[in-house]
Amino acid sequence: MSKQNKIKTKKTSSYIPLDSPIDRMHPMVKIYGVLCLGIGCAAFPFLWLSYAVVAFLFCVAWRAKLLGRFSKFIIAFAVPITCMLLIIQGLYSPKNVTVLADFGFARLGLEGVVYAFKTVGTLLVFLGGFYLMTTTTYPGKLVTAMQDAGLNSKAGYLVLASLNVVPQIQRRIAVIQEAQTARGVEVEGTMSTRFKAFLPIIGPTVMSSLVDVQERGMTLETRGFGVKDVRPTSFVALYLTPGEKAAKKVLVAFLIVCVLFAVFWALRPVLGLGV
Amino acid sequence: MSVDTVIEVKNLSFRYAGERKQALKDLSFTVGRGEFLCIIGPNGAGKSSLCNALVGLIPSYFSGAKKGGVSVLGQDTEGTSVANLASKIGLVFQNPFNQISYTTSTVEEELAYGLCNIGAPRDEMRRRVKEIAETIRVGGLLRKNPLELSGGQIQRVAIGSTLIMRPSILVLDECTTQLDPLGSEEVFDIVKRLNKDGITVVMVDHDMERVARCADRVLVMNDGQLLAIDTPRAIFNGIFQSHGVDMPEYARFGAAMSGAGMYGGPALLTEREAINAGKAAIAV
Amino acid sequence: MRIEIRDLRHTYPTGEEALKGVSFTIEGVTPVAVVGQNGSGKTTLVKHFNRILSPTSGAVLIDGVETTKQSTAKWSKRVGYVFQNPDDQLFLNSVRKEFEFGPERVGVPAADIQKRLPEIAELCGLGDKLDSHTFDLTATQKKFCAIGSVMMMDPDVIIFDEPTCGQDVEGSRRLSEIIGHLEKRGKLCVTISHDMKFVAANFPRVVALCHGRVLIDGDSREVFAKPELLKKSFVSPPPISRVSLGMGFEKPAFSVDELVETMKARRRKMA
Repeated sequence: MSKQNKIKTKKTSSYIPLDSPIDRMHPMVKIYGVLCLGIGCAAFPFLWLSYAVVAFLFCVAWRAKLLGRFSKFIIAFAVPITCMLLIIQGLYSPKNVTVLADFGFARLGLEGVVYAFKTVGTLLVFLGGFYLMTTTTYPGKLVTAMQDAGLNSKAGYLVLASLNVVPQIQRRIAVIQEAQTARGVEVEGTMSTRFKAFLPIIGPTVMSSLVDVQERGMTLETRGFGVKDVRPTSFVALYLTPGEKAAKKVLVAFLIVCVLFAVFWALRPVLGLGV
Repeated sequence: MSVDTVIEVKNLSFRYAGERKQALKDLSFTVGRGEFLCIIGPNGAGKSSLCNALVGLIPSYFSGAKKGGVSVLGQDTEGTSVANLASKIGLVFQNPFNQISYTTSTVEEELAYGLCNIGAPRDEMRRRVKEIAETIRVGGLLRKNPLELSGGQIQRVAIGSTLIMRPSILVLDECTTQLDPLGSEEVFDIVKRLNKDGITVVMVDHDMERVARCADRVLVMNDGQLLAIDTPRAIFNGIFQSHGVDMPEYARFGAAMSGAGMYGGPALLTEREAINAGKAAIAV
Repeated sequence: MRIEIRDLRHTYPTGEEALKGVSFTIEGVTPVAVVGQNGSGKTTLVKHFNRILSPTSGAVLIDGVETTKQSTAKWSKRVGYVFQNPDDQLFLNSVRKEFEFGPERVGVPAADIQKRLPEIAELCGLGDKLDSHTFDLTATQKKFCAIGSVMMMDPDVIIFDEPTCGQDVEGSRRLSEIIGHLEKRGKLCVTISHDMKFVAANFPRVVALCHGRVLIDGDSREVFAKPELLKKSFVSPPPISRVSLGMGFEKPAFSVDELVETMKARRRKMA
């Protein structure tokens, strides 16, 4: 059997199998977590909440034995996006009234800075939560949970297939790159050599993915996938523990409180409540 | 169709959409219950197309122009979905890695995948998984991730995932080509045993020695046509060498000895037969 | 041509020790087959010949030069590598372009490329397919297109990884022809294969690996005369060799005709 096949065996999704309470948790709780925390923070008018939730996510990451990776992910994402938003919003937001610093060519405004931090905070909650969910949940379990909640089986397969596709293509690229260097394509060196080396890789990558997709499609079909008028069952039974049921309720409560507070805050002038 | 006929192919022709060449040209044959039929022929002869037609992927998955028909256990494959046919006839492909669903985290889930799709209850699934795991000898691997298995192991799981639908016919399209000799033997042993237990086997194979040893009948194809279907001894009597089909070395040895006036019996099919005939020839 | 492998060890990042000290030397242009069970280290070994892999310890020297001295792309001028799956290798929209790509990369003058092209296309059975799109080729033709595109670079060594996998009689025959052609032109061919009929017919030297070490290395007749030892690496001699050994001959026969000739000689002697 070829090396290519050996490589294929390594990994198929962003899931990292680690035994932790977060890993064992019912996927639906995690989905609720991402959505409730994310939407709650987005709705909530003050920026401190997002950062409190991010701090909470760090605790979750620690429990999931992923603190290192999670920190790296957050930093790699947060630093550049914060800088970018600070420049755009801080310097040029039309809402800017309070000047924090004057650089001569532009002024740093408080309102823009707050807006930038608020946006970054909300994004971090969404993306951080999503990252934790995908790294701690086996895709199959995730889809089973979604199907239990009423998701159509074809849609379920689509979710799984898309989760699988990126790492798979990465592995194919590694093999194809080897094959191309053996034909005289230089892959080491300057940016432009590397870019030139990239070109010959695209074709085979796409082609072989297409072939794989066709064969897998046939396999699925012979396994009764998409048979009509049958409600699919699952081999693994997923049950919500009482703790998980409670956690779901807490998350929904969090969302409701946030949204209610946001509405109240927005209607404050109308209701005639001054600060 | 007689009671003992499980597959009936009648004047089957097929041309893939967008292609000029006929992939299958007017094929007619039947397969009996419990039979071990091997399909041989050069690359491009239409062997895979025939397999796809037997399980109904032609015409439901591949579009094109089809004439004639295939009936499996009395049911016309056209108009029956592949998914529904899965409980009658199962297909195992060449590449083991394209035969896992990529949606499961353990071998037992993978085995049960087809049952989930047809909505089988959970305890029924558990029972069948246990039974199949024994058949394909993966008992110790049930909790493993399918992606951690060797090619031979995955191919066995693929056979298991097919068998769990309880088909009475198993079609194998060069399912050992990508495996090393050991993996190939592992898989083949299972197939042989299944056949002994009554499952009808239709197998495409390039290993002529194995075909000669195991097949009840051999179907020779070339250029989309059926050239012959007969017992291995009749097929390997030297007639089909010219059609891009290899002869088992034992049969060629027998033919060469006959040419030299050292042997006069029927085609030699196994190592044992060849050794005995050879010994007899030099013992004179 | 000289490939020297000195106490080569390779450990993958996963911790898997694929080669545990392999030493042997290939001298001249006699085709060499590398055989052994999956996981025995065959592919890992030959991937060191053009520095797709670098040794964890030990060394591989091509005509006295350590492979680590230059990149794989630079080595491609001297060491060609045909991957098992042609889909990893082919990416252009015609056979002709595939054939021209490699030599162009390593700076072969256009006139030389055009001179080589028809001969190699003929050898690969693609003479009338030069302007076909590679997608339209059959699996066999793709394989030969990949082989041809490496031969076009005119390297001194060509490595084939499982060239007979999925080939029919016609494909195997063509491969034998190519291997013979390479030897005649003074090129070394090193091949990984599971197909012992093919190995016996084409490779006078066989190196059998087992668990990252050399199990046997020698003349193919001697190697295939030791079926018991070969079993350790799950390799068994080709069918006709087994028949000849089973009949009590000391040396394994490599072809039907050869065995029948030996038998005739034996009968004459007895008569």
